[in-house]
Amino acid sequence: MNDPFARYLCLGCGFLYDEQMGLPEHGIAPGTRWKDIPDDWVCPDCGTPKHRFEMVAIPYASGEPEASASNTF
Amino acid sequence: MESFVLKADDRGYNKLVSVGGPASYIAGHPDAFITRRSSFNFGDYQTGHHGFGKIRVFGDEIFTHAGCGYNMHPHHDFIIMAFILSGELTHINTLGKVDTLKAGDYYAFSAGSGGKHCELNINQEDLHVIYVWVLPDMLLLPPTYQRAHFNSIAPRNKLVPLVGGNSSMPIDQDLSISRLDSDAPGTYEYKLKSPNHGAYVFVVEGSATLDGVLLGKRDSIGVWDTDRITLQTGAEKSDILIVETIM
Ligand SMILES: [Zn+2]
Repeated sequence: MNDPFARYLCLGCGFLYDEQMGLPEHGIAPGTRWKDIPDDWVCPDCGTPKHRFEMVAIPYASGEPEASASNTF
Repeated sequence: MESFVLKADDRGYNKLVSVGGPASYIAGHPDAFITRRSSFNFGDYQTGHHGFGKIRVFGDEIFTHAGCGYNMHPHHDFIIMAFILSGELTHINTLGKVDTLKAGDYYAFSAGSGGKHCELNINQEDLHVIYVWVLPDMLLLPPTYQRAHFNSIAPRNKLVPLVGGNSSMPIDQDLSISRLDSDAPGTYEYKLKSPNHGAYVFVVEGSATLDGVLLGKRDSIGVWDTDRITLQTGAEKSDILIVETIM
């Protein structure tokens, strides 16, 4: 079995990367693991580098997401 | 008991100017600038503490010259709070709120599923403000904006709850903020909510002794693995913020 999907929060603005959902609108497919995102990737909203994201284990207010959901503002 | 002490001058320091690279982010032109003292790692300051409990940002900031501030920019999920020390803050957010906050006023803007805000000093007088960012206990909550006022005259020499806990400003995190405005010698015993809670104590003005450690202006201490903290003040006028957070 694969590890559970993880969530990473941008410490510059709060932008969320959820491995389960990916960021299809930014060319990252659902299911893409954090380690497989290039090291030079930056937060699409504020430009904070990848290494200044923090893995968080915080549940969603509306329950667990569908794989196709998105968190764009 | 575990603790760390952070002296005022050991915090991160940034001067953010409104020209050049950051011009789209920093408002005001051409001589406006923001100085930011960060208690925890933020932006280019990465050699300090990562955070404390659910706190990630504790920024002691000064906006200098009219028009200075942060242009409208996006957030998610963080609960962003501002405590105005002096001057006047104009806060604009995408919930449709335009607010003017003066000394003693404070707000909590929970960005939740997405929100933008703009923070401006539109006056010549400097704006002194403390920004605190906190992780929420749930992601993608509906965004909210709350504001209130700390009356620094009536409740003198008494710990006043401002945010979370027993205050009138609930937030979606096991974290509370209290403020003490003191002008007389006193001893304050603060009982933590549980052994898994810690306290970040920041001296805004004056001085205080926290569990035997003397703290001067803008010094701070993080304390955890204890059930209570003891704060002592002297005759000097002092202003102290206590952030209690689940660790
Ligand atoms: Zn970001």
